[in-house]
Amino acid sequence: MSLEISIKDKIKRNSSMFVNFVKSAVTASPKVQNNFLDVSAKVAETVLKIVKDADLIVDLNYKGKEFWSQNRCKTACFVDGGVDKTSIISSAPLSIRAGSYVVKPDAISKREYFEESMVFLGDLYDPKNELYDFIDDDFEEDQMLNKKKDGARIIFEAATIVKHILLNKKFDYCFLHGPIEGTVMPFSVPGFPTFTKFAVENMFPFAVNKKTDIAARHFINVYLEALNYIKKGKFPIYGIVETSNSAPYVKNLLYNYKSQGKISDKDYNNFIKIIKKYKITDSHLLEIILSSGQALKPIEIKKQIQGFTVTTGSSWEDKMESFPKVFIGYIKTTDNNSPIRIESLNNSKNLIKDYEYILGTSRLLPNYGFPVGLNVVDKFAKIPNWMSKASRKYYATHLLRQAVKNKDQNTISLAVKILSKKARSWRNRPIGGITK
Amino acid sequence: MLKNPNWKSIGTVLGETFIDCFYFSLKNYKAKKGDIVTTDSKVPSSEGKIIPVTVWGKISTIESSNAFFPTEAAQELTNEDIDIRDTILPTTRDELICKVVILGYTKDEDKSSKLLPLIYPVRPAATVKYPSSEDVEALLISDLNSSHPIYIGSLLAREAVKIRIDADNLVSRHVSIFGMSGSGKTVMVRRIMHEMLCKNYPMLVLDIHGDYLGFIQKQQELYPDNKIKLFYPNLSVSSEDKEIIYTLIDKLGKPLTDPQKDFLNSLLEKVKYESGSLLKYVKLLNQRSREYASEGSTSFKNIRPASMYVVARSLGQVAKKLENMEQTNFRHRKKMSKLKFVELADPATEPEKIISKGQLSILYLKGYETLPASAIVSILLENLFKHRQEVNEEIPPFLTIIEEAHNFIPSRSENKDDLPSVETIRKVITEGRKFGTGIMIISQRPSRLDETIASQCNSQIIFRMVNQRDQKATRDRSETLDVDDSKQLPNLANGQGIISGQVVNFSLPVQIKFDEKLINEDIGNENFIDTVENWDDSEAVKERQKFAQDFSDISDIDNRSAN
Ligand SMILES: Nc1ncnc2c1ncn2[C@@H]1O[C@H](COP(=O)(O)OP(=O)(O)O)[C@@H](O)[C@H]1O
Ligand SMILES: [Mg+2]
Repeated sequence: MSLEISIKDKIKRNSSMFVNFVKSAVTASPKVQNNFLDVSAKVAETVLKIVKDADLIVDLNYKGKEFWSQNRCKTACFVDGGVDKTSIISSAPLSIRAGSYVVKPDAISKREYFEESMVFLGDLYDPKNELYDFIDDDFEEDQMLNKKKDGARIIFEAATIVKHILLNKKFDYCFLHGPIEGTVMPFSVPGFPTFTKFAVENMFPFAVNKKTDIAARHFINVYLEALNYIKKGKFPIYGIVETSNSAPYVKNLLYNYKSQGKISDKDYNNFIKIIKKYKITDSHLLEIILSSGQALKPIEIKKQIQGFTVTTGSSWEDKMESFPKVFIGYIKTTDNNSPIRIESLNNSKNLIKDYEYILGTSRLLPNYGFPVGLNVVDKFAKIPNWMSKASRKYYATHLLRQAVKNKDQNTISLAVKILSKKARSWRNRPIGGITK
Repeated sequence: MLKNPNWKSIGTVLGETFIDCFYFSLKNYKAKKGDIVTTDSKVPSSEGKIIPVTVWGKISTIESSNAFFPTEAAQELTNEDIDIRDTILPTTRDELICKVVILGYTKDEDKSSKLLPLIYPVRPAATVKYPSSEDVEALLISDLNSSHPIYIGSLLAREAVKIRIDADNLVSRHVSIFGMSGSGKTVMVRRIMHEMLCKNYPMLVLDIHGDYLGFIQKQQELYPDNKIKLFYPNLSVSSEDKEIIYTLIDKLGKPLTDPQKDFLNSLLEKVKYESGSLLKYVKLLNQRSREYASEGSTSFKNIRPASMYVVARSLGQVAKKLENMEQTNFRHRKKMSKLKFVELADPATEPEKIISKGQLSILYLKGYETLPASAIVSILLENLFKHRQEVNEEIPPFLTIIEEAHNFIPSRSENKDDLPSVETIRKVITEGRKFGTGIMIISQRPSRLDETIASQCNSQIIFRMVNQRDQKATRDRSETLDVDDSKQLPNLANGQGIISGQVVNFSLPVQIKFDEKLINEDIGNENFIDTVENWDDSEAVKERQKFAQDFSDISDIDNRSAN
């Protein structure tokens, strides 16, 4: 049986690439539809050849019982953040939460514990730029709000890891749900608010003394500083991502081959075009290439890519250049899922052991194939039902306090109404009932 | 006053609170469902001051959510034989959320500790405390504020907290005791009877199975100062109430045609009987009707002798059945030769022999079918009630205990509503408060009970109950049973009941005290295995076995084929 046929079979057998293709087939041109299977099989075959040539595939070792009896002494920390989705209306203050689940299975006392921090979006960003946006159909303001939420979550997760490092926690591992280094490009838009002095001082105490100017409190600067600090952390820190929507690994791998002269510029460029055309991602390809329990050794990748219109020529261009490079690898944890992406700022000395640990923790979530600790902390970061009621009041009270301080009549009446009404009635509130 | 700095804190009040309930998150293993807890709060007083109070509540549900444990993980743990404690899975994160039904509050500076209805919600995030058993008991007793508390058991969730109920309400406001067979109803009744005997309160118990004979057996030892009488029934009939004859013929004999009924009517007119044994009267009627028939009597207009024979036969059937029942009852009594049974006194003329101070009267009804038993009870209660209604009361107030009550007060839907006892008991129970004729109804099928009567019971004690219809009937007829408590009904163990209504003030799950001494030793438990072990075949059986082989040989030979 030729390699090509078996790969085709694999693709057809419900791999995520095929599923994805079937979904988008409606919009794809007839030619693309026609050639999909052949093209993707050839792409996968080629990538597999290169991966093998580069000796990137490793077989990880995992035997359930044995693994855990060896690793029960390890302390692991799992970090996840989230935006409180329970808020009543878009204009109410949102809260950003980040939780840590720390566990040492064989500990005599305090085997496991959760830590949690919460901050209001309004307390995080400078109030000058804060908006209690009463118009919720304004696209741009929505975009900005979303960016603010994302920025807040990213910075708050980073702050949580920084806190563990600052407190000199003796972890064997620390895992973050999501990329270890997020793309900062979206935050380079003009008008993106800076963080408050208070927030920066509290989250990153080491950053304060050096700079007090406003620009230093911009997301990109603060984040860079946080990442540099995290890079120096004494314990291995990994960001774990479920699926990849692009193909950074494959692209970079081929780029390296191109740089080494092993692939022609033309072939490289064609290849990039093809995977774009067929919407082929790392996840799609590696799902086919790797078998369960196999990993791809990390390669170094530049996360912040220049050349976008928003950043071109701006002062952020240089800044982005100074962000640390990220090591990205993949582990296929189960038969039925695409491999998970493993990111770190450092190249680990115990890479295989680390990956095996990630595999072990993922096997405890056999259907989802993702480190179970991240699933645990994810649940923790979500607000339980009873809390959301309480937090609703908490918000409103907070809002009222802010409003009274600012003597903003609209906000006061808004807060009073939130306090006195049930959430649902706010969804159905008459349009134009409250104006700016 | 009931405030103790040493009460342990066991959790934190959550989210929104109300004046009738709140939720709290419980520390592991610190309290159980049914436990009494407190939280400090403040309420505005009528003078406009803010006063510190202790709010008391009962844990009505506990939900444990191990939301952090993904179910998928179990798969891997099992397949790979992994000990969860070796893994990074959370093992101590069970979130326990309790719902607390608020019972009321006590003022911190007050001496008395009567529970007052809460008028202001408790504070979110307040600490929830676990009051000491003594303090809970003290609160319950002072809140019950009873001049005659009787001890029935302990709080299900906390053995150390003794539970008492109010005897005054018990004897005047009626109690129903429901639960499936074997759930502990009779044990509960015996407990109450024991306490009431000690208070010399007169009681009459209708005993179908002999569940209460233990009182007689232990009389010398336990109740030397009480009178305990054991009656066997005597179906009596008074000269003015011959209705019962019709009913008996209807139920036990052949149904009559109109001319036959006419004859029976005239017969009853003609054959006088000064009140007395019903059986004797029926026999007399049977004899007379036979005579009239054979004489071809003409004193009955338009009635042919054939009709008279039918009536005679029907009466004969009734007589035979009554006699059978009497004999069955007699045989049962004979088995308990150590016990002294006396014929039930005539309640019309000698009620004091049945009801008197310090006396327990047990009417042993074993062997009687529903209708005669109902007739017996109807006549008995009708008369006793009359004596309580009269100006010169001949008997003191008393409590009637009706075991297997579905036999006496079936629901209309059972199509047995012409049982004479239904009407009588309905009357006695509705007017019981005025005349001191309290009734206690015990049944394993509450859904089959007369609705009016069952809903007259102001207090309930409910034991394990699995049948949905019975659960529904129980809930429907009780205003006081806590909804969450009632969900527990199918899971209660023997002797665990939920007590609610006027005898307690609020619904409480209770473990009833078991008085082993009061068990009827002659019945004991249904221990058939022991019975078989000690089994010896009766003489007749032995004789039969002696010859069985011979007869069998004969027929074998007979059956041989011809060659
Ligand atoms: N309070 C109790 N404590 C311990 N055991 C009990 C208790 N109540 C009942 N039981 C057990 O259950 C059996 C049946 O109880 P019983 O009261 O006769 O049931 P019911 O009258 O509901 O049919 C008793 O013989 C006893 O063994
Ligand atoms: Mg019983």
